[in-house]
Amino acid sequence: MNDFSELENQLRKLRPPQPSADLTSRIERALAEVGQGRSSELRSETARLAVTAGVLPQERRFHFNWLSLGLGLAAAAALVLFTRIQLERPEKKIPTLASITPAPQFSSPTSTAQFVPAGLTQVVYHTRDEGLHFPNNSEQPMRRVRSHTRETLRWRNPTTGASLRISYPSEEVSLVPVTGQ
Amino acid sequence: MENVATDENWKICFAQLAPGLLLFARQWARSTADAEDIVQEAFVRFWRKDHDIANRGLLYATVRSIALDFLRRDSRRARRESTAVSEMDQTVQPLFEIEDESQRALVAALDLLPREQREVLVMKIWNELTFAEIASALEISQNTAASRYRYALAALKKNLPAV
Repeated sequence: MNDFSELENQLRKLRPPQPSADLTSRIERALAEVGQGRSSELRSETARLAVTAGVLPQERRFHFNWLSLGLGLAAAAALVLFTRIQLERPEKKIPTLASITPAPQFSSPTSTAQFVPAGLTQVVYHTRDEGLHFPNNSEQPMRRVRSHTRETLRWRNPTTGASLRISYPSEEVSLVPVTGQ
Repeated sequence: MENVATDENWKICFAQLAPGLLLFARQWARSTADAEDIVQEAFVRFWRKDHDIANRGLLYATVRSIALDFLRRDSRRARRESTAVSEMDQTVQPLFEIEDESQRALVAALDLLPREQREVLVMKIWNELTFAEIASALEISQNTAASRYRYALAALKKNLPAV
């Protein structure tokens, strides 16, 4: 049935060399180092292991992974920092934006020097024609144009030379009357 | 197969498995000493992770993985050292205990086999693994393992006219 049975028998007659006596003692030492704290635990569980047909469940031991702990802490720290930055942003913007229209001049918290408006830049970076509309049911069609702009307001303190700049996006919708030709 | 659940059992298991494991590791190692280092590391790692010793596919996969790592390190080292010393190491330490000329010819024919066929043959003949266990260790299908085994035997037979 098997053409190779004779060859297989010849191969089985070849004996690989036995391991050195030193190897067994080396493994014994290595296992002793690994399992110093484990031997008593294993002895107490011998009966249970016999019942499980020799399968040692891996879940029974808690492996403390320092690398995972370190990565977890680093991720948590990064998250806290990110959250703080996100929370701080609106606090800076809201009073500034609110102060633009009613009070173009405001004082520095550390000095009494006054800031005066130094300039306003308005950059339209996108315009979209949204087609014809008839606002308020009028018969006159109007073309609706939506513009996205970024406005930058600058203040300067003439005494100290310090400057303050605030930039924010804005959106403007304008209705342009359509003239017939 | 015995379990390594107790301190004494591992010695029984190791005594049974060690010659085959060493032969398996020797395929990647230049010397018996290197093969013993590989087997030691694999066996200790296997023990440390509480694997079932009956899972021989995993045990041989562990040996193979460590042996390949060792081979990579050893290749770098060999480039730094003279090749003459390495060749001398290989010729001094044979893979088998040879008794006569026919066995010497058989070992010479084994050396000519491609590595992928030889490792299947070593696992099957001297470690008595099933094709399922070999497939698991090498991460190949059982059919592939069986094919490699047959190709290895066919190649050996071809190279040994006396058989």
